[in-house]
Amino acid sequence: MFKKNVVRFIIIGLILVLAGYALFWTIAYHSFSDQKLEDLRTKGTLDKYESRIIRLGLDLQGGMHIVMEVDMPKLIETLASNKTPQFMDILNEATAEAAANEEDFFDVYRRKVNNSDLKLVRHFNGLGFKNEDILNGLEAEAKDAVSRAMEVIRNRVDQFGVSEPSIQKAGKYRIIVELAGIQDIGRARELIQSTALLEFILLKDAAVTQQFISAVDNYLKTGQQTDLAPETRDEADSTVALKESKDKAISVNELLGETGVETGLESEGADTGLVVDEEIYKERPFSSLLRNVDNQIGVPERNVYAVKKILENPGVKKLIPFDSKFLWSANAERRTVQDGATESFYILYHVNNEPGLLGKYVTKASASLGGSGSQSSGQPIVNMSMNSEGAQIFAKLTGANIGKQLAVVLDDKVWTAPFIRVKIPDGSAYIEGMQDMNEAKDIAIVLRAGALPAPVKTIEERTVGPSLGKDSIDVGIRVGVLALLVVMAFMFFYYRRSGLLADMALILNMIFTMAIMAMLRATLTLPGIAGLVLTIGMAVDANVLIFERIREELERGKTVSAAISTGYARALSAILDSNITTLLTALILMQTGTGPVKGFAITLFWGIVSSMFTAIFVTRTFYNWRVERHAIKTLSI
Amino acid sequence: MIRIIKKTDFPFINFSKTAITISLIIIAIGMVSLIFRGLNFGIDFTGGTLFQMKFDQPRTIEDIRAVLTTANIENCIIQKSGENEYIIRVPQGEYGSNLVEAVKTSLNIKDQNISRLEQVGPKIGKELRGAALLAIFFSFIVMGVYIAIRFQFQYAIGVILSLLHDVLITLTVFTVFQLEVSLTTIAAFLTIIGYSLNDTIVVFDRVRENLKLHRNEAYERIMDISINETLSRTIITDLTVFFVVLCLLLVPGEVRIFAIAMTVGSIAGTYSTIYIAGPVVVFWARRFKRSAK
Repeated sequence: MFKKNVVRFIIIGLILVLAGYALFWTIAYHSFSDQKLEDLRTKGTLDKYESRIIRLGLDLQGGMHIVMEVDMPKLIETLASNKTPQFMDILNEATAEAAANEEDFFDVYRRKVNNSDLKLVRHFNGLGFKNEDILNGLEAEAKDAVSRAMEVIRNRVDQFGVSEPSIQKAGKYRIIVELAGIQDIGRARELIQSTALLEFILLKDAAVTQQFISAVDNYLKTGQQTDLAPETRDEADSTVALKESKDKAISVNELLGETGVETGLESEGADTGLVVDEEIYKERPFSSLLRNVDNQIGVPERNVYAVKKILENPGVKKLIPFDSKFLWSANAERRTVQDGATESFYILYHVNNEPGLLGKYVTKASASLGGSGSQSSGQPIVNMSMNSEGAQIFAKLTGANIGKQLAVVLDDKVWTAPFIRVKIPDGSAYIEGMQDMNEAKDIAIVLRAGALPAPVKTIEERTVGPSLGKDSIDVGIRVGVLALLVVMAFMFFYYRRSGLLADMALILNMIFTMAIMAMLRATLTLPGIAGLVLTIGMAVDANVLIFERIREELERGKTVSAAISTGYARALSAILDSNITTLLTALILMQTGTGPVKGFAITLFWGIVSSMFTAIFVTRTFYNWRVERHAIKTLSI
Repeated sequence: MIRIIKKTDFPFINFSKTAITISLIIIAIGMVSLIFRGLNFGIDFTGGTLFQMKFDQPRTIEDIRAVLTTANIENCIIQKSGENEYIIRVPQGEYGSNLVEAVKTSLNIKDQNISRLEQVGPKIGKELRGAALLAIFFSFIVMGVYIAIRFQFQYAIGVILSLLHDVLITLTVFTVFQLEVSLTTIAAFLTIIGYSLNDTIVVFDRVRENLKLHRNEAYERIMDISINETLSRTIITDLTVFFVVLCLLLVPGEVRIFAIAMTVGSIAGTYSTIYIAGPVVVFWARRFKRSAK
């Protein structure tokens, strides 16, 4: 019997040593100073630590989690040629219906195509002749696009320099990107999400644009206003706009005196901070939102949302010339206005539908500062060069359109729209308008890494800043320790020395659980900490069951050692059954749960597994030792 | 030896009809509220966007709302979460990178000041909802099967009804007080199920044992004896769980809602262990006497 107990102690000791080893790396890593971490990193030995520590989830470490999905309607639109009204109608209907019923887009599209007399072969080349074949072809194309998109994103992330990025495929058309510990979230988001579709597109003539703006004003004025997305133009909204304008109404007359945006140069500066005045708004609901900025259509930052809403209005959409579309400038431009204040404007560009040249011909892209003497002197720019095929097209394009504006468009955002002054024969071009060198570098990266093979859209994003993550860890640890102390105090108070035994088991349980997490390279999240705290409650339950049973047996007059063995034996079935059912729940959560729930389930699961060992095996060993060594007659329980 | 509960002999089964009636009334209130007010689903399930941001200068909720309304961003839920720090939830429908830009520019806030940004598309929301329901449903089935194997069929019925009771009571609290239901809440629901089941299994384990010891006693009596014998353990364990949950209540944000769910759920769980699970098994046994014991 005594020997058996020695074996038990050896087992506990071995497991403790193993746990200590597993946790050593984590403890060492977190005790290092920044200097020491940097030293190890240069030596290349930091990996040894990083691969052995308990990984922190994005919510504790800071970072971003993005789920992207191939935008099927856009993909189909991009692949199609000869986009007839019938083709576009079916595509748009399917998009709307899928969104409304939360159905899979492709199922809806398939159904709609099959219910119509649309012949897909007229729109797609090389995918077959029957509608069914072409539909399957499109689906295959989308799946292939996912793998290629992952490759492109990986390239970009690698060049950006993120440690341990995780890029995974999920479902049929989804990609999950996880970047831990990044500091500049805005930049990372842009970098990943940008399609990197580069196009050179000619602007429409100013006269055509002017005509459109007047048409929209008329359309909105003549009682059609109810059409205009009612939720954005309700009572509350217009009163806010009205109040603002009364507060700061400066340029009512000036604005009224103008005939259009194109000539509003002198007056535009005066209406700083004024969204729009009510009267002008009534008279010219659309153009009153616009300003003239260097003879281009400027939209004050605060009006951007409203202008976008108007442009999305179905009635207004019909007024847009069929061969053209509207694009926004990538960045806002700050302009000094009359009274010395500055205001930011986005520029709205009216461009051709068909690009004059695609960015796929671009072979090199690098960021630099604009050379002295040039217009962009000292400004960050991205230089590009094209292959010979691209250079040829570019030469033709520039040669035929001297005097016109050519927009350089990346992902539907206009970076710059210079006037074509001379024919450019060598295929060199540049992008300007970046806010800083970082932005220029990022653009060069995405251009080099290549365009995403299909438009992808972000369907889920969770981003946590590094400081919030740190706060969460601090709070988590504090609460965990508090809970541990409260429960330990209670157990000692209620069960005396036996309670101390349970307390020891509890601490071992925490150590073991963390060690298991480190060994499995599991990720600790905030809900995971909650799960860990909850196992504190679960872990003492086993001891409560045992102690209560021992008490019962003692009351029945059994000796200490008999009461202990009967207590353990009788409590065992209840402990096993109750813990196994909880383990089952945790398993289900691990399988079906996503993100936070999964993190919770992992710690709960391993916490319970380890608690069964500590609460039953470890405490029993110590009881045996005390009973045999000291032949005790009374038990402190 | 300190004892919270001395040896007791309460006639729990006799009282259970009253107890069940009380529970049914509470659940009925919950169901009415569920129909008329529904649940306050967070963006995890409805889709939408959540910002947590810190301003450089003090701003009021009204001020933020006014600015957002001017930018046509409406129906936001704005909460203060710290000094100059706010959580803003924008419902689904305004989804898109345009929204993030619009919020950032209208509130004049930089990326560094946004400490948390969550965007969930409507499709994802629907999927998460489905996954959550599936998880709860599965866990019920798995528990039921496990109990039916380890004990007997009528115990599985007792367990499932008492678990259903706990979840419905917790749901009642969530709909009446319009607490936010998020992914974390689902985790809480499942933990409640786990805890409540623990209690119930401990009692049933005693019944299993006592059925062999007291062969001549009536089934009701054995159930009463077992509940009384395990009463002190039930209360001690639930107290420790309660202490832990109280500590979790100190953490702001989602964890607090999780803790509220846990508090309610663990009280309901203790109660259902005593008044629902046992009695249901007894009633079932009485109904189908031959299959009992």
